[in-house]
Amino acid sequence: MNAFAAQAGTKTPSGDLICRETRGQLVPSLFPVWMLGVVAVVLLLVTTTGCGKTAAASYRLNMVESAKQRLKPEQEQQVATILAALFGTPDDPSAPSECGLDAAKLQLAAGPVRSDIVGRKNGLYREHCAHCHGVSGDGMGPTAAFLNPYPRDYRPGVFKFKSTERADKPTHADLVMVLRNGLAGSSMPSFALLSDAKIDALSEYVKYLSIRGEVELALMRAFFELDDEDQGRLPEDREFLIEEIVLPVAEAWQAAEDALIDVPEMEADIDMAASIAKGKELFYGNKANCVKCHGVTGLGDGQVNDYDDWNKVVLQAHKTVQGGLEQADEASTWDMDADEAVEHRAELAWLDRFQKVLDGNALPPRTIRPRNLRQGIYRGGMRPLDLYYRIHAGINGAPMPAAKGTVPPEDIWHIVNYIRSLPYDFNGTLGVDKPMVARDRL
Amino acid sequence: MKPGYRVKTRLQSTMTTPFSTSVGRRSGAKRPLASYCLIFAMIIATGISLPGCGGGSVAGPAPDFEAALVLREKLTSATGATEAGEDKPQGTGWATLKGRFIFAGAPGDAKPLVVDKDTEVCSKDGMKLFDRSLMVDASTKGLANVVLFLRNSSRVKEPVPTDALIFDQKNCEFLTPVFAARVGQPIDVKNSDPIGHNTNISGTSFNQLIPAGESTVFTAGRETGLPVTVTCNIHPWMKAYAVFREDGYVAVSAADGSFSIPDLPAGEPLEFQVWHERSTGRSGAISLEQPELKWNAKGRFKIQLEENEVRDLGTLQVPAAAIRG
Repeated sequence: MNAFAAQAGTKTPSGDLICRETRGQLVPSLFPVWMLGVVAVVLLLVTTTGCGKTAAASYRLNMVESAKQRLKPEQEQQVATILAALFGTPDDPSAPSECGLDAAKLQLAAGPVRSDIVGRKNGLYREHCAHCHGVSGDGMGPTAAFLNPYPRDYRPGVFKFKSTERADKPTHADLVMVLRNGLAGSSMPSFALLSDAKIDALSEYVKYLSIRGEVELALMRAFFELDDEDQGRLPEDREFLIEEIVLPVAEAWQAAEDALIDVPEMEADIDMAASIAKGKELFYGNKANCVKCHGVTGLGDGQVNDYDDWNKVVLQAHKTVQGGLEQADEASTWDMDADEAVEHRAELAWLDRFQKVLDGNALPPRTIRPRNLRQGIYRGGMRPLDLYYRIHAGINGAPMPAAKGTVPPEDIWHIVNYIRSLPYDFNGTLGVDKPMVARDRL
Repeated sequence: MKPGYRVKTRLQSTMTTPFSTSVGRRSGAKRPLASYCLIFAMIIATGISLPGCGGGSVAGPAPDFEAALVLREKLTSATGATEAGEDKPQGTGWATLKGRFIFAGAPGDAKPLVVDKDTEVCSKDGMKLFDRSLMVDASTKGLANVVLFLRNSSRVKEPVPTDALIFDQKNCEFLTPVFAARVGQPIDVKNSDPIGHNTNISGTSFNQLIPAGESTVFTAGRETGLPVTVTCNIHPWMKAYAVFREDGYVAVSAADGSFSIPDLPAGEPLEFQVWHERSTGRSGAISLEQPELKWNAKGRFKIQLEENEVRDLGTLQVPAAAIRG
């Protein structure tokens, strides 16, 4: 809705400008035409202000998944209704008690920006987050298309920067840390100026949107699993909706708090020069294999045509549509019987709608660049511990694999030390010369 | 593919119309005509701004809030929490289902894959890797790598095996193009190459570095609906499929297209799902014309087996149109 308002706003001035420029010359001689002009201006104003009169904010359905699963309108409607029953609306969120979400925090973060008590503000999510992440948490707010990397889409329930194992959810503290520090090198700013209570409320709300999005995905995928006798409708009982759909998602979030990665301390009296040398060996070697993606120079140019999981979904969808259209082109309606022709038309209608969904409800897929390790800018934090987490568990949703299990902890620490040395150019013997920023040397 | 990826800027389209006509006005046309042009342009601008309210995105249906309130009431109230599930008929004993898939079309030559990394290992001695998404046995016409699994098991004969299943990669290729395992069964993900790989199983968040000559263990925590992709991000051409089932009643057709699932629950209705990577059906579902099996468009068929029966479905012919070219 913000997008529409913004577009409408920019239109009016340009129309106005031309009108004023010409009006002086027109008034004396051409009264009826001038009247027409007024009518046009009024019409323009009426139609553009009409956009502002949007009803209460509403959640957007995950149309890409819906199109992928070939849901019928009545099935989409059922998903929307079930989601409203379980999770409320953007102005009045709620969640099944099984999710363990704090309703007071959600209320503080949800709804339009407003204040009832002096100094206390509600609607934090729409004040600080929705421009980029969207009201539905789909990472498709009005500004999203202009950012690189795109804002996170919470709905698949996958988060990159966390202190838990790859497959686990982030802890509450992980989300708080991302909000407080921002993500260096991306458009995600630091919200350190917000009070702890506000950051806490926003973290809870992100969790809420993520659980809601995952439940939405699960519901949409459940249609395929239905038996014929269900006639394309999901059962609306506790056993299915809560126990089968909501609980697995909720439990995963609750399990995260106990799934912290166990990090052994780096040796206190470690020989740093030797450790860096060992790390370098691992970086280029067949064991850790960092070089394959981060490149021989560490500039992140080793693997430049891979996609992250969010973009892969859209890319795959584009391929499905393209493949389907090619297949449909080859098919000749000439030798089809009536049934086949009906099926063929239905297929074409589906492909057409899918294409519209991809144009309007998804951002163009973009490749993911492995981190340039020469810059010393790390999205998930620059502490040695943060780098340890990234190498140990990999980065969920990104191509970065986990080294856990096959690379022992002491080796991970060596790699951390080597990576931390990369932004500096060691001209001579490691550890002897004064490190220098590569930029200064040039 | 590129042209499809445009970001629609309605802003631009509305901006250009008035400007282009105002240029026309300056180039010597008489005033009344010019002003008509101008007003016309404004009306067009209004016309453009009207559909702008709808947005470029496809809006799904809005929720039915009254129904939502009723549903919320029902889900939160303790009474009537769970609708009484009808008891499914249960039989006794076990039976076997087997058959063979053959491909009725001409498979064509497998396409060679683009191998542009680690060529000293991956295309050693001029070795070539080929696309394995459609493997048809030349002599028997057998269609390999068709996945068939039971959707509704009421009981299971064998407990989950504790010895690891080996999933290996060699010469920059996964040795098993499609593999099945049980939830909870350890899978030894091996790398028999002298170079490092990573194994990324989609939908499971498993993406692990496998150093040269080493292995790591993966255990699926939950079922996959249909098979999921297994890839290596370092070598993007590497691809396989995995399917994880709680009960293990799953078969992947062999090189000659044959499959066999033993120890199935007998004396009760069973429903199977059939899938192939290159199927034109929905999400890879293979549907065949088999009215007596009630084989539907979702790639499922129904069958009931007698105790100790070995049912042979015979030769199941997959038509050429069912496989993407």
